[in-house]
Amino acid sequence: MKRFSAVGAALLLAAGLAGCSVKSDTGGTGGGEEISFLTFETPNLKPEYWDEAIKRVQAKNPEIKVKKLVAPNTDRTAYAKQLLQSGQFPDVMIAVAPAGFAEAGELYAWSPDELKDFEFPTANPVRGKYFQLPANTQTIPPVYYNKKLFAAAGITAEPKTWPELIAAAEKLKAAGTTPFVTGGGKDGFASSMILAGIVSTDVYSKNKDWLTHRREDKVKFADPDFTAALAKFADLAAKGYVDKTSLSRDYTATEQAFLEGKGAMYPMGNWFAAAADSKPHDFDIGVFNFPTTDGKLVVPAYTGGGMIVNANSKNLPAAKKFALAFQLDKAQLDQSVKADGLIPAIKGYTPPSDMGAVYQAGYKLYQDAVKQSAVVHAFRWETADDGLLPGMADKVDQAAQDLITGRKPAAEVAAFLDTEWNKAR
Amino acid sequence: MWPRVWHFLSFGAPGVLVYVCFVLAPIGISFWYSLTNYNPFNPPISYVGFDNYVLLFQDNEFLTALKITSILTAIVVVVPNVLGLGVALLLDRPGWLYNALRSVFFTPVILSSVVVSIIWSRLLDNDGPLNAFLRVVGLDPPGWLSDPDVAIYSLASIVCWQMLGFCVVVYLAGLQGVPTELLEAAEIDGAGPVRRFRAVTWPLLAPALTINTVVLLISAFKTYDYVKVITNGGPGAGATATIAFNVLATGFDANHVGYASAMAIVMLLIVAVVTAVVLKLLQRREVDL
Repeated sequence: MKRFSAVGAALLLAAGLAGCSVKSDTGGTGGGEEISFLTFETPNLKPEYWDEAIKRVQAKNPEIKVKKLVAPNTDRTAYAKQLLQSGQFPDVMIAVAPAGFAEAGELYAWSPDELKDFEFPTANPVRGKYFQLPANTQTIPPVYYNKKLFAAAGITAEPKTWPELIAAAEKLKAAGTTPFVTGGGKDGFASSMILAGIVSTDVYSKNKDWLTHRREDKVKFADPDFTAALAKFADLAAKGYVDKTSLSRDYTATEQAFLEGKGAMYPMGNWFAAAADSKPHDFDIGVFNFPTTDGKLVVPAYTGGGMIVNANSKNLPAAKKFALAFQLDKAQLDQSVKADGLIPAIKGYTPPSDMGAVYQAGYKLYQDAVKQSAVVHAFRWETADDGLLPGMADKVDQAAQDLITGRKPAAEVAAFLDTEWNKAR
Repeated sequence: MWPRVWHFLSFGAPGVLVYVCFVLAPIGISFWYSLTNYNPFNPPISYVGFDNYVLLFQDNEFLTALKITSILTAIVVVVPNVLGLGVALLLDRPGWLYNALRSVFFTPVILSSVVVSIIWSRLLDNDGPLNAFLRVVGLDPPGWLSDPDVAIYSLASIVCWQMLGFCVVVYLAGLQGVPTELLEAAEIDGAGPVRRFRAVTWPLLAPALTINTVVLLISAFKTYDYVKVITNGGPGAGATATIAFNVLATGFDANHVGYASAMAIVMLLIVAVVTAVVLKLLQRREVDL
């Protein structure tokens, strides 16, 4: 009995200590060619999209086994951080911002040779290296609009300048239509889309490295040009063009609200084109570039969004192979275009000719902007050295909500952003 | 002597180990982190003493979160307690209908808070069924979740709705423990229903009140899931951000694990002190009665 008790105590002690120990590696899966792959789901990117994509890569690389992980919400970067801190950092992740992970040495830096097939291989540098495959470009935000509501309000031309946009909004409001569809709830980015457009076109068009300069303390949110951009957005909301009661809508409900005709204009990333071309609605949808003060062509866009690879993966060669195979596969690129309206940034790639009218129109707007060198960063969406500090994107969304509700004036919001920036360092 | 110690250890060790590994060790680690500038993406870790705690009490975001958490906690402690007692009194009678109603009231308790949050965010949406009804009857509904001045009360109501069933069950258990002979004696002495409740039932429900209050207090103070799913702390800066929400946002979004740990330790201390005081007061009341 005594010996039994002693052995029992020893076993329990050992089990307890084992439970207390921390894994020494930084995640990844076990042996063989198995890798873990962190995905996320949206109204466009459903589970079957990822399953089919993985199958396609595996068909050409049967030695690679893939364990699919799904982020609990659209904020996959925050989830990746949790996985890293709990010793479960995936081998491969898609559309996870590399900033932070890269500086901490957690990500594999792609070589120029590995990036040779990408159109913008030097997009999103972190300390001079490239950690995220620059797989696609997203214009953020073009303005999608309801042609039926525009016609009913007597608007005959797409607004190109800010005064034209205001005039259109006034006509829509007079006709009893909510000019801008916006959202919020758990998906705060839906609140800050218009603000992203204003800052990108007004501030970045004068200083394309504005956020890099903010990191160097050369500029501040409270500077006149940025505060003016905040005030421009606040003015739009104060005139009743943005429905402040819709701030509780999450992203899915916001998209649905536009498709149900609950508002005339929907500034959103070009991924909306996929939904516009496939989901039911009883009106035609048009798209125009986010208007600038004087009508000069400025198109905010973000190139990146591709895969990052865990530098400490036990199966690093397999992880790299999977990531490149996934991003460069023609069939997968076609699917990403159809499902999520992406503009692949792969050399020689052209989207399928049977893409819908809304996608084609948005694609043309982007191509024209590229030809005229009119592309600037999309404020809030940058993910590298030229991006917001970790945790700041949520603060920008909250700032946008405060401007929409009129809870704070522009100057106070600018001060709030500077305070939060200093805390985020 | 030693064999006897080993014998007791073999029985006590599992509980002690679980407690040490999953309660004391994380608290100890968090406290250590709170004395550092720990940022997993920006090593190395440096000891900063109590700087994080000093900063915390100069941080408007934290002070706002403390206020929001206090408002939420006050509502969640009071409303389900009061309504739960009322519902329990109504349901404290025999019959299949009352049994069925008890199940109905308890159902929200067993639902996931995420599911509850999704359901209520749809119901309280500007275009949701509640506002549609209010508009039909000619009322102008508020922005339940979109108005920064209203959203925290809407969130508190959702938590109250889910916790109501718990209070009902605890009070029902308490009511069924009230000796009928005492109530009959009071009735014979001429006490009416109100007097019988005040003089007999209510004092004997003291243990149920203690349980409900302490459970609601702790649950409300650590509210995170409803905020994350419904409002993400908004609309606007800090409108519905609780301390628990800020701990996770600061630790996992902004990567300031040291600072977030200081928040967590302060939250732990507040919950511990408030719970200890409330428990002491309520238990003293039980003894006095």
